Amino acid sequence: MLKGPFTVWWRDMIVLRRSFFSELAAVVASPLTFYLAFGFGLKGFIANVDGVPYILFMAPGLITMTAVSAAFSESAWSLWFHRRVQHTIEAYRVTPITVYDIVIGKIISGVTHGTVKGAAVAAIIMMLTTLHLQLASLLAYLPYLLLGSMIFSCVGTICGTVLNKPETIGRVEAVVIMPLIFMSGVFFPVSSYPAAMLPFVRLLPTTAIFEGGRYALLDGTLNAGYVANLAISAVAAFAGAVWVFNRRIEE
Amino acid sequence: MRVTDASLSLRRLCKRYGDLAAVDGFSLEIRRGSIFGLLGPNGAGKTTLIRMLTTLLRPTSGDALVEGFSVTTQGRQVRRLIGVVPQENNLDRYLTARENLVLHARMHGMAPSAYDRRIDELLEMTGLASRQHDFTDTYSGGMQRRLVVARALIHDPRILFLDEPTTGLDPQSRRAVWDHVQSLTAQMTVFLTTHYMDEADTLCDRIVIMDHGRALVDGSAAELKERLAHAHRYELQLKGGGDRYEAVLRGLPFVTELKRDGDLFCVALAGEECLKPLLDAIGNADLKSVSLREPTLEDVFIELTGRAVRE
Repeated sequence: MLKGPFTVWWRDMIVLRRSFFSELAAVVASPLTFYLAFGFGLKGFIANVDGVPYILFMAPGLITMTAVSAAFSESAWSLWFHRRVQHTIEAYRVTPITVYDIVIGKIISGVTHGTVKGAAVAAIIMMLTTLHLQLASLLAYLPYLLLGSMIFSCVGTICGTVLNKPETIGRVEAVVIMPLIFMSGVFFPVSSYPAAMLPFVRLLPTTAIFEGGRYALLDGTLNAGYVANLAISAVAAFAGAVWVFNRRIEE
Repeated sequence: MRVTDASLSLRRLCKRYGDLAAVDGFSLEIRRGSIFGLLGPNGAGKTTLIRMLTTLLRPTSGDALVEGFSVTTQGRQVRRLIGVVPQENNLDRYLTARENLVLHARMHGMAPSAYDRRIDELLEMTGLASRQHDFTDTYSGGMQRRLVVARALIHDPRILFLDEPTTGLDPQSRRAVWDHVQSLTAQMTVFLTTHYMDEADTLCDRIVIMDHGRALVDGSAAELKERLAHAHRYELQLKGGGDRYEAVLRGLPFVTELKRDGDLFCVALAGEECLKPLLDAIGNADLKSVSLREPTLEDVFIELTGRAVRE
């Protein structure tokens, strides 16, 4: 049943394997810059946040940020490139695999990119700091990593499917994706928001990804509400991505 | 043709975009094992038709059966049986030639034990074996085209769709593609669209010329040319004075078409009886020879679809 999606994924993994180190260097540069600039640069100005040294407080957010933005970028750019530049989507579509196979395969690729790149940043941060992750923390973090990457991969799939110009994808990343990530608790606790806004902010899937992910990595706790939020969002995003892709490709 | 002989059967196939009928009620039966050529000017509906037959585009109405499977309701079964060479080379430039073939073999559900040998055969047949581990963007246009053909053949399709397969190729590469196509007919039906009349003339058992979404004529190259046997085309070779004689010929009311290459004129006359007045008008002084010109497939094409350049 999953032969089709895994064939699409297999192709993406060949390409990832080939460019693994060059891509990794590009992907980890940005979160590590944030980490060094804010974590070490502001060390003397910011003490503990939520009872945790700031340099540790921001680490889970940066790992998650790397994972979800990698998932978004892989899906959005890859689909756009296959659709608009190489026209390989058409080559896929005259084989027995279905449009569902293609979109599911691309989402799995996005999640894989997110997981691998997030893990790379985690490994480097662990080498630089006192952050040492226990198995229980990692297991608790896994749902946030996978569901978060899946949501962003689905959103990327929708962008790569409906947007024809590359600069528009760049604008979506700059105007929607990055602000949403930054404002969802990567660098500060969401409790800093005014009380009137908090109920709304806590409903955002991005808050569930970043705050829930932090609890998991630092305390090893799994927040059922956040995980449920992410599971529902992931299902909705997946349904949306499949529907949009199917509809667009049929046109 | 008996229904069981038909590899492809089009039944009032139609694709509309608002008021525009890109393909307008196309019906056709194509015999198994034949090379079928679809000709038409730009925008005639050829690519739309091929996209419907390869399940890339849903027809507005009508249906087509590919080896008995409906393109509207049995797309997956249809795609198992077809190989497609699109107008543009849509190879994956991040994969090597061999990986491109492996990817498509896997998409057809083939196991490595089946596709490894098949890929070796196809790379050998297309002359790409020595470059199989190179990325496809290092290939010339002709090599890329041959690889796309190999990719379309990986799963031994029953019908091969070739959408303008030799556009942009040098004469050697064109001949190589022709040789491949001709070698395939024992095993499969070939559906070909092309702008090159010599290609259709050389390769196709049967040709349909279409325009504005409709079939205009249907027959073998010889039958189509026969339709213009009444066209009374003559070649006049003059010794000199081309400009003067061109003015004379353009002034003759029974000259329906005129082409000039230096002192060689090709004229189409309204009737056989016009030949004598034509010769009288030119006179003997500069006339070197007169010969009856056999119509070409291009003459038929132009006659049916007009001279106006399409977008």
